[in-house]
Amino acid sequence: MSRTLFLALGIFLTIAASVTGLVILPNWQFQALKPVAKSGGLLYPEQYFGDNKRGREEYIAQGCIYCHSQQVRMKGYGADIRRGWGNRRSVPRDYIFDFPHQLGTMRTGPDLASIGARQPSRDWHSLHLYDPQITSPGSIMPSFYYLFEEVKKGMPPPEGSVKLPDAAKNHADVGYIVPKERGSNLIAYLKRLNQSFPLPEAQQ
Amino acid sequence: MFFVFMFIWAFAIFAGITMVWLLAWAIRKGEFQNLRDGARMIFDDTEPIGTVTDCFPGESGKPAKVGAK
Amino acid sequence: MTTNLNQADEIRARIEADSSSRIVVSFYWGTALIWLTIATLAGLISSAKLHSPGFLGDIEWLTFGRIRPVHWDAAIYGFGGLAASGTLLWLQARLCQVQLPFKHWLIAGGTIFNLGMLCGVVSVLAGYSTGVETLEFPVWAMTMLVIPYVIIVVANFTMYARKKTKHTYVSQWYLMAVTVWFPVLVLSAEACINFGAVDGVAQAIANWWYGHNVVGLFATPAGIAAAYYLIPKVIGKPIHSYHLSLLGFWTNAIFYNWAGTHHLTGGPLPAWTITIGVVGSMMMFIPVITIGINHHMTMVGSFHLLRTSPTLRFAVMGSMMYTVSSFQGSLEALRSHQEVTHFTHYTIGHVHLGMYGFFAPLMFAMMYYAMPRLMRQEWSSARLIRIHFWCTLIGTALYGAAMCFAGVKQGLMMNDPAIPFLKIVSFTIPFLWLRTLAGLILLAGTVAFLINFGRMLMRYKVTFADPTLFTTERNWDALLASGKEEKPA
Repeated sequence: MSRTLFLALGIFLTIAASVTGLVILPNWQFQALKPVAKSGGLLYPEQYFGDNKRGREEYIAQGCIYCHSQQVRMKGYGADIRRGWGNRRSVPRDYIFDFPHQLGTMRTGPDLASIGARQPSRDWHSLHLYDPQITSPGSIMPSFYYLFEEVKKGMPPPEGSVKLPDAAKNHADVGYIVPKERGSNLIAYLKRLNQSFPLPEAQQ
Repeated sequence: MFFVFMFIWAFAIFAGITMVWLLAWAIRKGEFQNLRDGARMIFDDTEPIGTVTDCFPGESGKPAKVGAK
Repeated sequence: MTTNLNQADEIRARIEADSSSRIVVSFYWGTALIWLTIATLAGLISSAKLHSPGFLGDIEWLTFGRIRPVHWDAAIYGFGGLAASGTLLWLQARLCQVQLPFKHWLIAGGTIFNLGMLCGVVSVLAGYSTGVETLEFPVWAMTMLVIPYVIIVVANFTMYARKKTKHTYVSQWYLMAVTVWFPVLVLSAEACINFGAVDGVAQAIANWWYGHNVVGLFATPAGIAAAYYLIPKVIGKPIHSYHLSLLGFWTNAIFYNWAGTHHLTGGPLPAWTITIGVVGSMMMFIPVITIGINHHMTMVGSFHLLRTSPTLRFAVMGSMMYTVSSFQGSLEALRSHQEVTHFTHYTIGHVHLGMYGFFAPLMFAMMYYAMPRLMRQEWSSARLIRIHFWCTLIGTALYGAAMCFAGVKQGLMMNDPAIPFLKIVSFTIPFLWLRTLAGLILLAGTVAFLINFGRMLMRYKVTFADPTLFTTERNWDALLASGKEEKPA
């Protein structure tokens, strides 16, 4: 019986060693990170709250992470910055309020770390989420039409609606779309994704 | 950070010593003698070394026998 | 003499070990195959949605971001978890020459595991994913996967404590390790990530420490345990070098643990965390080469048996793919490689070469070998076995080739900012179709196996022109009744 115990102990130790080294230790490093002051009394980064918090939950519920990353690699390693996906590399401080993290491991679609800076328009996001082919022909992103109300052509445009361009295929009878609450939240979150703020540690 | 590095080293040394101790214990217990026997323990008289124990069903190549299961 | 029993008792012990594990192991393996089918279908839907995004586009529950995690959770935990458990229990009973204990608890555990899987899958489809890759199931559903493993750990170590053999076979090191590692892994990861013990990007490290260890400390050892037993057992030759096998085990245990951060190369992490991951990944050459040499040298002189043994075909395919996909993985971890292939389909190609090239075939090999001995029944159709094998081999090869090639090109183009993103997307589309084709081939193989397996469970009457391959075990009942050894006729 004692032989068994020692084998079990040895096996357990190998894993305990790595969880300590790889997980617990870096965590001690990061716990000291706090937001820094921006202009106007604001902080960077900010806690998520309200509609962008609910939008983050919608991002998770739809599984956006499986096609999109949220991390800009450093200059000279890959072409993230040259592609316009960010003006600096991402650093740990950018993610201190991300729970759970959405760093992502696939770029079937472009990186979204600073999508809010790249695409600040609510209308663009509405059209893109409703039918990606409208803004990005040839895209393989699915349509999230169920996050929107459709308003038939000929009906008056309600408040907050977005007009479908005439060239939009597959939606011949739809004149306007209005984001439902879930769609609105998601768009608010996407617009908030912006790592442009120049953090001291993010030297190029 | 200094504390972090010291901890990594301390834990790595501790883990290493434990591994070495376990290895020494295993040697003392005789786990490494008769290693050939260890490799042979999966065989026995009805499935001895040299006997193939798997083939496609119905293709063992042995002649049919009446009443075979 | 390798045991404390005499030869007759040893044979009887082997037969009793098999018959005692019949119900539990058949239950685990049967449900594993159900999850494999679900996983394959979910994979096919996911694959189709990438080249045809309108496919089933009306159903929110099937949106890519939900059906894809369902695919891999069903594959890893549903198929992997249950196939590995069945393997571990059967092998341990055999190698300890004891009967399987706590059968009712194990059945209960298996039921809870399956329920947990069902709850987890439905939760993700309904939009309640945790958002953590490889740990999408809600915590309470993951708990339902861990509890059965606690029961399995107890059963496993109880058998070991009761064992009648003098030695510990190398497979037993691996399988006992797996039963300890899996619950520890899940509990640690859940504590770190979903219970907020860890903040910010440290979660990402915890995430991929966990994700990679599921492959390396769970699927890999289960597969290697199977290979170390099946290859020598089928060909009738002992493992070439027992020393090497022990070296392989401990180096695997130590180095695999540290490789996980290679999933985050280039990311917002301190360079040292990534470097450790690269070093751990490169050090993996040691156990991989060790195990590869061992298996190859054991097989030398017996390759002709591949023509006649289904178990051996799957086991040798698995072992060779272990070496190939591991070498690929070690190189892939290098920063220069990652600069191109990170974030691309290459990663997915590698994962499938490993899981469907190495792990799944070894689980299939184990099932093909053990089920007839558990059920005392032949497989009903050699043709279906052949179909299963060739579909597995061709499907996996096509999958790997298409995704790895596409991934490299995709990565190179992504690193050239002059190439618009949508152009890269349209380049990959033909390869995504090839992947769907590969998935259909794999599904065909799975169906062939399901038919055989189902018939096996239902004791489908088979009559063959020549007798069963179990010439060594034909007289089971007589042997058990008489307690004496009977020479085969």
